[in-house]
Amino acid sequence: MVKGTIEVEHLTKTFKKGNVQAVKDVSFNVKEGEFFAFLGPNGAGKSTTVQILTTLINASSGKVEVAEQDVIQHPHEVRKHIGVALQETGIDPSLTGREMLKLQCGIFGFNKEEASKRTNELLEVVQLTESADRICGNYSGGMRRRLDLALTLVNKPKILFLDEPTTGLDPSNRKSIWEYLERLNKEEGTTIFLTTQYLEEADFLADRIAIIDGGKIVAEGTPPELKSQIGNDLITMDFTSEKETKQAMEILNEELEATDLVNKGQQLVMYVQDGTKRLMEVVRVLDQHSIPIQSINVDSPTLDDIFLKITGEGIGEQKGEVKHG
Amino acid sequence: MGNGLIKDIWLLSKRSVQTTLRSPFSFIPNLLISMFFLVVYESGLSGISQLPAFDGADYLAFILPVSVVSAAIGGAGGAGQGIVKDIENGFFSRLLLTPASRLSIVLGPIIAGMLQLFVQTLLIIMVAFFMGLNVETGFFGIIIVLLIAIGWGLAFAGYSAGVALKTKNAQAAQAGTLIFFPLIFLSTTFVPYELIEATWLKVAATINPTTYIFQSMRTVLIDGWQWWEIAQGFIAIAIACTITITFATVSAKKAVSRG
Repeated sequence: MVKGTIEVEHLTKTFKKGNVQAVKDVSFNVKEGEFFAFLGPNGAGKSTTVQILTTLINASSGKVEVAEQDVIQHPHEVRKHIGVALQETGIDPSLTGREMLKLQCGIFGFNKEEASKRTNELLEVVQLTESADRICGNYSGGMRRRLDLALTLVNKPKILFLDEPTTGLDPSNRKSIWEYLERLNKEEGTTIFLTTQYLEEADFLADRIAIIDGGKIVAEGTPPELKSQIGNDLITMDFTSEKETKQAMEILNEELEATDLVNKGQQLVMYVQDGTKRLMEVVRVLDQHSIPIQSINVDSPTLDDIFLKITGEGIGEQKGEVKHG
Repeated sequence: MGNGLIKDIWLLSKRSVQTTLRSPFSFIPNLLISMFFLVVYESGLSGISQLPAFDGADYLAFILPVSVVSAAIGGAGGAGQGIVKDIENGFFSRLLLTPASRLSIVLGPIIAGMLQLFVQTLLIIMVAFFMGLNVETGFFGIIIVLLIAIGWGLAFAGYSAGVALKTKNAQAAQAGTLIFFPLIFLSTTFVPYELIEATWLKVAATINPTTYIFQSMRTVLIDGWQWWEIAQGFIAIAIACTITITFATVSAKKAVSRG
């Protein structure tokens, strides 16, 4: 039996066109049955990595083994054991959902009976039984996504690759895709490699996360590990002006020796080990310097905070001013 | 898991045929244009067949190959259009991610294009029979006409698939079909070679392989089993197919390669 593992060593991809280095010396491993998330903003190199791992494009250098096979030397073998949902769905709009699934079954070597059976099963799983005999061209975005997901499951893949599977979906469709993926991972033991720009998605689903930015992995670990890397708590303070934020930042830096501070305009974020204890000190020091605080909170960090701290940018935000300790 | 090449080709050709049948406007206009050539030119121009250069030939049999070739080229052009659509809607990538043979992914739409033009050619010949067509070489002559149509269609399918795979762009593939006009009309389209006046058109007709296609078909339809005249059409097909299918193969290799 082939194992659903992924091994990537020193992977690099340079596109000749424009001489763009999309992936820079990336290494990671995914264990069998693990749910692994590749988290990063647009243009970080996520899709390029997926395309290399799934045999669509060749790496410039490095070694990639998927399902215990080298993707360059044995792409055909790799394709038998993986299921792939790319960012763009891959559906012939003139066929019905049922026809698409049966065709996919046929390509994977199922006979007619097996194909019908598997098609019905999958239609049920993605809740498309009622629309199965309608032309896919008339499906909604969410239905197409679900059909696309069903297509990737036809061969009961050992490893499922999903490139931003929920981008552009409404919350209810997103939730239902999350549920399928969780079930698939837990019940069938399918290894899942997912890329996403959504921190909550990676946090909710993944056993382990690699954060990729500018073609490099900048952090890797389980969600709790990543969270502890930046301290247990964070204190968020709101001020009335950017000038006050700046002053507060300097004061906290000098008097409390606070080094992990992120200036977000009228908001200041401070990463600390013991939030409640430090909160009192912060309030006292700022009060002594007569800097009025609009509001102040202690929170556990979210992945968004981690991302902000590591890459200096929040998802979809302008570059923040980061002071590293 | 996975199949042999033949099953992959069968599955993907079948799917291309389904796709074609579900978008009738991809082939109906082409069929109508071909019928239009047949009916309008026969009605409007048949008088000129009384000129001595026609040697008593029936104009219907003379113009039929024009209609057949126009249908063949149009039908084959559909192969390229099909591939471009697949690339645009992501279905091409979906196929590349399966163990399906790379050859079948490209051949599927081409074979469907061939079937399409076979059916169109049959329909046109049937209409011609209703209009009173007489075929000198009988049933086997019709087979020859069909074979030439398919062969010439294959050559053109290679060209259109090659353009599609090279450009991956619907407009470019569409623009590529413009070659249709010089191919059809810079030839012995309406009158025999001897009646072409302008020297440049004579030169063009001599170079244009379609001239030899017309000649082969007209020989079986009008003159009888004159082997050398018939063979020239097949030679033209062989040369054209070699060039265009090589072009399609090279473009396909690039399109499915992972460079």
